[in-house]
Amino acid sequence: MSMTSGLNLIALQMRVVATLVLRETRASFGTSSIGYLWAVITPAVSVGLLFFIFTMIDRQAPYGDSLALFFATGILTIEFFNKLSHTLMATFDANKALLTYPLIKETDALFARLILISATYLVIMVLFYLCLYAAGMADLPAHPEKTLAAFLAIMALGFGFGIVNAVIASLWESWNQIEKILTRPLIFISGVFYVPSRLPSQATDILWWNPVVHLVEWVREGFYPNYNSSVFTPEYPLFLAMILILVGLGSERLFRKRRN
Amino acid sequence: MLELKNVVKSYKMKGVRKRILNDVSFQFPEGRNVAIMGKNGAGKSTLMRLLAGIEQPDRGRVLRDTRTSWPMGFSGGFNGSMTGLENVRFVARLYGQDTEAVIDYVKNFTDLGDSLRLPIKTYSSGMKARLAFGLSMAIDFNCYLIDEITAVGDKSFRLRSKEVFQDKLSHASVVMISHSISTIREYCDCGVFLKDGDLYYFSDIEDLICVYQDEMGA
Repeated sequence: MSMTSGLNLIALQMRVVATLVLRETRASFGTSSIGYLWAVITPAVSVGLLFFIFTMIDRQAPYGDSLALFFATGILTIEFFNKLSHTLMATFDANKALLTYPLIKETDALFARLILISATYLVIMVLFYLCLYAAGMADLPAHPEKTLAAFLAIMALGFGFGIVNAVIASLWESWNQIEKILTRPLIFISGVFYVPSRLPSQATDILWWNPVVHLVEWVREGFYPNYNSSVFTPEYPLFLAMILILVGLGSERLFRKRRN
Repeated sequence: MLELKNVVKSYKMKGVRKRILNDVSFQFPEGRNVAIMGKNGAGKSTLMRLLAGIEQPDRGRVLRDTRTSWPMGFSGGFNGSMTGLENVRFVARLYGQDTEAVIDYVKNFTDLGDSLRLPIKTYSSGMKARLAFGLSMAIDFNCYLIDEITAVGDKSFRLRSKEVFQDKLSHASVVMISHSISTIREYCDCGVFLKDGDLYYFSDIEDLICVYQDEMGA
């Protein structure tokens, strides 16, 4: 293959993915701007509700001064991760009709969803944290570069889980339900309501294996000046993400024929 | 470029395995209009779907240009909850065409008017077929895949379709399935005969038609 045709193919692939992103945007948010607004409001309501309950029972923030910021670092992280994992899982089912156009491969649809969801959550998070900042309920991130790295890590891990889910779900339909049950306790075991480092070591030894804990801790390391998590090991979620993405894309190729 | 490389394709229905292509390698001649003929059930439509990339071969590879059309007359690629315009825009972007020019062309050609602003699921099958045909004419394909030309629309639309299509064929080629010998004669100058999992190539269309008539008569 010559150099130019290689470049042409890359340009073609980028065009296809960009086209799919636009189509997915239309499909997920509808034509009105209200649709996009809902995407921002839903996670805000979850954080608001927790904030309200904890204020009512007069609890202090487990760390820092702001209850809202502490919950937001946990909840937004989990929501972003879950959204990626769930939406990618449904990719193959939702996009069967697209395969009429031979230019589109199923992996293009996966990338398109990754891009759309990540962009949406970037907007949600920036808006949300800015609102907290404006309301005096949060400081700007103490280590912005760490916060950004945390965002990318959530993206990678959510993508990895999402592709693997998509492949399993395409071979075994019940996986759609099972995955939902398995991820339900995530909000309790990922340090949303508490500081993992302050738990007894018997507990942290087990919690450590939940990759999402590391993502939540990563975000907090970025926001607070001296969070110093004793649980946080960035290599673990990154390594896991890499393995899952490789296994996911590899098995997608392997089982492609069986699917259609 | 359209090429089959060691392609094997079979179906299993009620425990009976039916071979459609048995290790077939064939390069479609560049710039020529190729007919695909064979008895009912020989697998002509499956071959077309393999060429279009809608189905994958069991083994082997199908190589195609990025400017090979989807099988014409096939409107399965439309998203029912999106409007006609949105679907047109999507396909235009996908093939890297000037979106507005494609929309103008489709508007003029299909006469669908305000219906283009409605979701596809509200369309009649005739409207869908007109949109699909208009859209495939608006995009610069260099090879059109046609599985039985079916007439859509009223007489004036049919005449216009034929005119536009003839014009397209001056700089694009066609791979066509048809049971009508007159249609095959009109559009194709060579062809393949599909029988028992093998492809037989005839560089003169009349030879192919002879074989086809023999087979049908036998």
